[in-house]
Amino acid sequence: MLSIAVITIIQPRDERSQPARIVPGYPQTPWRNPQQPLLQRPPTLSELTGPLEVAKRVRLLGGDIAGHGERQAIGQLIHLRVRVLDEDGAPVAGTVVEIWQANSAGRYIHPNDDDHAPVDANFYGAARLVTDESGAFELRTVKPGAYPVRPRGGWWRPPHIHLSLFGRVWLSRLVTQMYFPGEPLNARDHILNAVPDAAARERLVAQLLPPSAEPHNALVFEHQIVLRGRAATPEQP
Amino acid sequence: MKGRFVPTGEATIGPFFPPRYVDAGANDLGVLEGRKAKGEPIEIHGRVVQEDGTPLENLLVEIWQADAGGIFRHPADPRHAQADPDFLGWGRAATDNQGSYRFRTIRPGAPQGRAPHINFMVMCSGLMRILKTTMFFEKNADPVLGAVPLSRQQLLIAKPEKPGLYRFDIRLRGENETPFFDD
Repeated sequence: MLSIAVITIIQPRDERSQPARIVPGYPQTPWRNPQQPLLQRPPTLSELTGPLEVAKRVRLLGGDIAGHGERQAIGQLIHLRVRVLDEDGAPVAGTVVEIWQANSAGRYIHPNDDDHAPVDANFYGAARLVTDESGAFELRTVKPGAYPVRPRGGWWRPPHIHLSLFGRVWLSRLVTQMYFPGEPLNARDHILNAVPDAAARERLVAQLLPPSAEPHNALVFEHQIVLRGRAATPEQP
Repeated sequence: MKGRFVPTGEATIGPFFPPRYVDAGANDLGVLEGRKAKGEPIEIHGRVVQEDGTPLENLLVEIWQADAGGIFRHPADPRHAQADPDFLGWGRAATDNQGSYRFRTIRPGAPQGRAPHINFMVMCSGLMRILKTTMFFEKNADPVLGAVPLSRQQLLIAKPEKPGLYRFDIRLRGENETPFFDD
């Protein structure tokens, strides 16, 4: 007998915890977001199912991207411990997570990033892994640097890590960004501050754990991600 | 009783999504681990543009669909035990410098209560949230197509260009803007 809940219920969004679509100071947003109101539709099986085996289509890269031995990335070594939950707080196990970030100087390995900041030959900045049974994963990386946004206008992105997650159904797909505590640029970032609710913004910021004996050489941050959906166990016949 | 956990805020995918995440073959749903899916092979391509008609490069398109029998590879589908083992139903493509994307897949069957369709989502710099829409092959009765005002339904119907080749353009904003759903 199938013991896991297979039906997912999607509730309306809490709009105050989600970002505005058109963001003052972010020049691309008024050109790319629909003018017409978004349409309400009845959820059907098509939207309440989704790809559970993405790892059969894409290659996993692991979660250790800070380098080893002679080839260590430059920067502050960090371990990031993330838990992925649903709206009941239940773990979302076995889901693909894609992670990308700038190096410690604020430079991405991407043809679009032709900034002056130096490339670190030992840091590519991309991890792709699967959550474990408790919905958790750990990333070993270096803390990303801040960088100026083009077109230049005095806006700098604070240090952040990009995350892309799938979850159990089509409507649980999430692309988000995680921030670091105590960064002065957080309060000025157009993207972080597009989320109206202060408590919801706070939940986008990772927490620094008190330093301990292990790992002796890295700061440890914790973070929690909640994907849309609650599990409903179908009635047994 | 468990408290309700509030879903994490979305953010833009930005301009720096790693190109290697658009894996070779990620846009070919017709083959899974070397085996061919059942059904009629088709190709879907199109261009994604912003309000002034500028094509958008480096934009991510993902699709999700039922197999040739109209079954979703997911345990919530009561028929999933009969799903085609060689069809995953999910794919990803990035737009090129002409704003064009392309998928190879199979023509989906009609899921229960639905017309044949393919779910689309797009992500790019300047989109703070994922935009979702649905592509149809014909104007048939369907609860999702029916949620679209009559005057805009045609924008969700793919254009057959030749046998097995469909065009589905996506206009994010402006005249003849693609209908997107609030979910």
